Amino acid sequence: MSATAVAYASPALPAVQRAGTTLLRATVIALLAFIVFGPLLNLLLWAFTERWYFPHKLPQAYGLTYWFRVFSPRGGAITSLVTSIWIALLTVVLSLVVAIPAGFALARLKLPARALIMLLFLLPQAIPNLPVYVNIARMFYSVNLNGTILGVVLVHASHGLVLAVWIASAAFAAVDVSLEEAARNMGAGAWRCFCTVTLPLAMPGLIASAIFVFLESLDEFTGTYFVGVPDVITLPLLLFNASNGGNYQIASITALLLLIPSIGFMLLVERFLKADVLAMIGK
Amino acid sequence: MRVAARARWGGMLLVLPALAIVALFFVWPLVMSSVSAFEDKDAGATLAHFEKAWDFYSNDLIFTVAIVALSTLLIAVLSIAIAGYLTLGENARARGALRWLYRWPLFIPFIVTAQVMRTFLAKNGMLNHVLIGSGLIDPLSAQSMLDWRGIVVAFVWKQTPFVTLLLAGAMASVDDQHIEAARNLGASRLRVLWEIVLPQSTRTLLVGLVLSYVAMLSVLSVPMMINPNSPTMLTVDVAYRIASHGDYGVANALCLMSLVIAAFGAWFYLRHSLRHAEAIA
Amino acid sequence: MRKPSFLAVALAASLLSLTMPATADTTLNVVSAGDQNMVDYVNNFLGPKFEALNPGVKVRAVGTGPGDAGSQKIYEKLSAEKGANTATWDIDVAVVHQRGAATMMKESLLAPYTKDIAAGKLISRDSATNALGTNVGGYVIPMFHSQIVFAYNSDVVKTPPKSFDELKEWVRKNPKQFGYNGVKGGMSGVGFVTGWVEAYSGMAGQLERGPYDPSKKAVIDKSLESLKDFNKYVVMTPGNAGTLDMLNRGEIAMGPVWVDMFYTWVADGKMNPSVKLELPKPGLPGQPMYYVVPAKAAHQALARKFIDFAASPEIQAEGIVKQFNWYPGIDAKYVKPKMDEKSWDKLFADVSPDTLQKYGRPFPLSDYFTDILEGYEQVVSK
Repeated sequence: MSATAVAYASPALPAVQRAGTTLLRATVIALLAFIVFGPLLNLLLWAFTERWYFPHKLPQAYGLTYWFRVFSPRGGAITSLVTSIWIALLTVVLSLVVAIPAGFALARLKLPARALIMLLFLLPQAIPNLPVYVNIARMFYSVNLNGTILGVVLVHASHGLVLAVWIASAAFAAVDVSLEEAARNMGAGAWRCFCTVTLPLAMPGLIASAIFVFLESLDEFTGTYFVGVPDVITLPLLLFNASNGGNYQIASITALLLLIPSIGFMLLVERFLKADVLAMIGK
Repeated sequence: MRVAARARWGGMLLVLPALAIVALFFVWPLVMSSVSAFEDKDAGATLAHFEKAWDFYSNDLIFTVAIVALSTLLIAVLSIAIAGYLTLGENARARGALRWLYRWPLFIPFIVTAQVMRTFLAKNGMLNHVLIGSGLIDPLSAQSMLDWRGIVVAFVWKQTPFVTLLLAGAMASVDDQHIEAARNLGASRLRVLWEIVLPQSTRTLLVGLVLSYVAMLSVLSVPMMINPNSPTMLTVDVAYRIASHGDYGVANALCLMSLVIAAFGAWFYLRHSLRHAEAIA
Repeated sequence: MRKPSFLAVALAASLLSLTMPATADTTLNVVSAGDQNMVDYVNNFLGPKFEALNPGVKVRAVGTGPGDAGSQKIYEKLSAEKGANTATWDIDVAVVHQRGAATMMKESLLAPYTKDIAAGKLISRDSATNALGTNVGGYVIPMFHSQIVFAYNSDVVKTPPKSFDELKEWVRKNPKQFGYNGVKGGMSGVGFVTGWVEAYSGMAGQLERGPYDPSKKAVIDKSLESLKDFNKYVVMTPGNAGTLDMLNRGEIAMGPVWVDMFYTWVADGKMNPSVKLELPKPGLPGQPMYYVVPAKAAHQALARKFIDFAASPEIQAEGIVKQFNWYPGIDAKYVKPKMDEKSWDKLFADVSPDTLQKYGRPFPLSDYFTDILEGYEQVVSK
């Protein structure tokens, strides 16, 4: 892509025009940087503030007091963090375990009503899930699942399955069938072929889907608000309570904690989500 | 023949666990919700909940539609612009910077977005400080954006990278030869974008937009933290009815209304898909 | 292969959770509605002190959120457990609002306990037996009393309005300088609205003491019409903390706040010390939060011991009043001797006990309360 772009570079413009274009480009990028990072910078400021009120434009006193409060044994942040990560991991495991066979079947085998099935998986993302969360809490109360980790995992998984199934299906579809045929020709059984050829080739796409499911679960708020409270407190819930209680320092620190896995994975996901897989999503 | 049938049913078996999860934990509560919206205390059928919901919250209903529609529109415009530049832009450094820059909000959860926007968009928040400091507006006209505008900003900020990511991927797989041919004939980049690249990536654009549209209809944290007072989004009212009054009837009626709004979005997508399928057939 | 590494991480996480502090012999589950300061109170003050006196006991505090919504969550949980016929319920001590306590009382979700503990003799206020019209005597002990007041920036507002009538004038001359949170997001806004209705409906007494008359809704709705006009000149804030927040950023100069939240913000460096408090005529509501013991709580004896401890004069003096800036839950005459004069006076610096007596009102009866909330949505928000 970059090669073609270079090939079409416009003929050399007069210097003034070029400088003008460069200035425009730089301004736009700077503006974008402000829009993207400005709010995040504000977050950083509040995370290290000890005292800040009007009319001061910047905090009057900086400090780490609130970090100690957040990480104190009774602060609840460590428990919430572990709970959040644990739930996210379980969600990924559950999603992958059911999505891999489903994705394979949808990509390779001719299923009756294939389009309908794909659409069914789209439902949790295509329909506002508030009614679901609200009523699932009632459902769970009667089977004692409300306020349990399993309950929250089920809610997260049902929402993230579309990502898992659609991306898995796209990943399997992108695997070159001739490679599988070659393996079969050499005498490998269907299961062996799947494990040694198909799965490894689809793995990058599957990892990408795992990452998206993980992140969605980690950041999930609304479902956990209805199903988990008061026993299962995830990091987003802690953030919400702190923010609504006006404790911006704790809210900001919690937000930073949430961002670490998010941004870490962002830097990773690019390695796994190639353009051809992306293009096949939804087909 | 038998092998094919076995493969088909074997295939269904493979899909079954995933389907079961969605059916049990999504479709079933959804059905319960719809039923509950029509039930009165003695399990008879009634429209009272809808009447009350309309009476109290019709403003919020219109407001919700307007906010989500506006946000979707803005997201479309911005993502086409960014993805377009990433595909057709000429300055490699600018493209690289853009590619690195635009993704950040994608990985910020909605709840964190709500929190940062709360302090960023306030009357004496960072945005206004910078605008005043750089002389762009005068202090007395500084406004708090913590109303419907803040909600739109939060949504657009968070969802544009998602749609751009999908769109950029789709644009990248447009055959270079088409672009080459057009450029050789003298078409400007804007024209190439509009007439060649975009039509071939419309499907992905619509997928991204519909997913964003629906996601925005479900978000509770953003309106609750930025502007929970009327007019506000329906999600806040649903939470309020349940939390403060235990009123599942009206809450579910409001949810059904959300579903109808979402259905409009899905309808757009389906219409385009069908036309696309017909064109190919 | 990548998959094993995910498993490895999963295993590591589970091992990590196992190495967390081992659960003590008994865990007392305290679930509290209300703002974060309530949970902090148990976590940072009450819990450690109780654990020190009762080795082998761990106090676990969880919050369910501010306003009646938080109490509603606790009610839903207990109601569900009752409906499912579970043997023991997993909340030992709950801290709820009056409305929540009234609902739980009506559905027999609470255990009577005040006669079994010493602190039961220290409460004689009306609020100890009357929760918005429902008789809760014997089932609750107030944890604290709090009061809604107007906070105003004394640097900007030299002569604050001293009554609702004066406030109406004031907002016209100073538009967008007053802010409150409507009926969503916190009780400070709700209190302002009920204060308004009591001031302008002419039936304040009946609202507070009954009898309930559904036909009076029309009177309530009428008194709310002037509020709709009033709202044109004010700013709506997102919640209890939202009002304090805007005061902090100088975006409003005045608004209704909870006394305790206010003082905590000042102590945390989030409020300009020049912001002062006042109680306008004819009054604003205040409310207690109640300690209750669910009927089938798992640790009944321990729960009683905990509440007895929390309601003792020493703890009320040291924790409730001194550290967390609430008015005491038990009768003030038992708490005052346990405190130094300076700390006691600090609580009444802006609003004297006299003013509190005259203008601090209870919330209206549950049914009128609902009528007012619904009336607000029907008349004012549309």
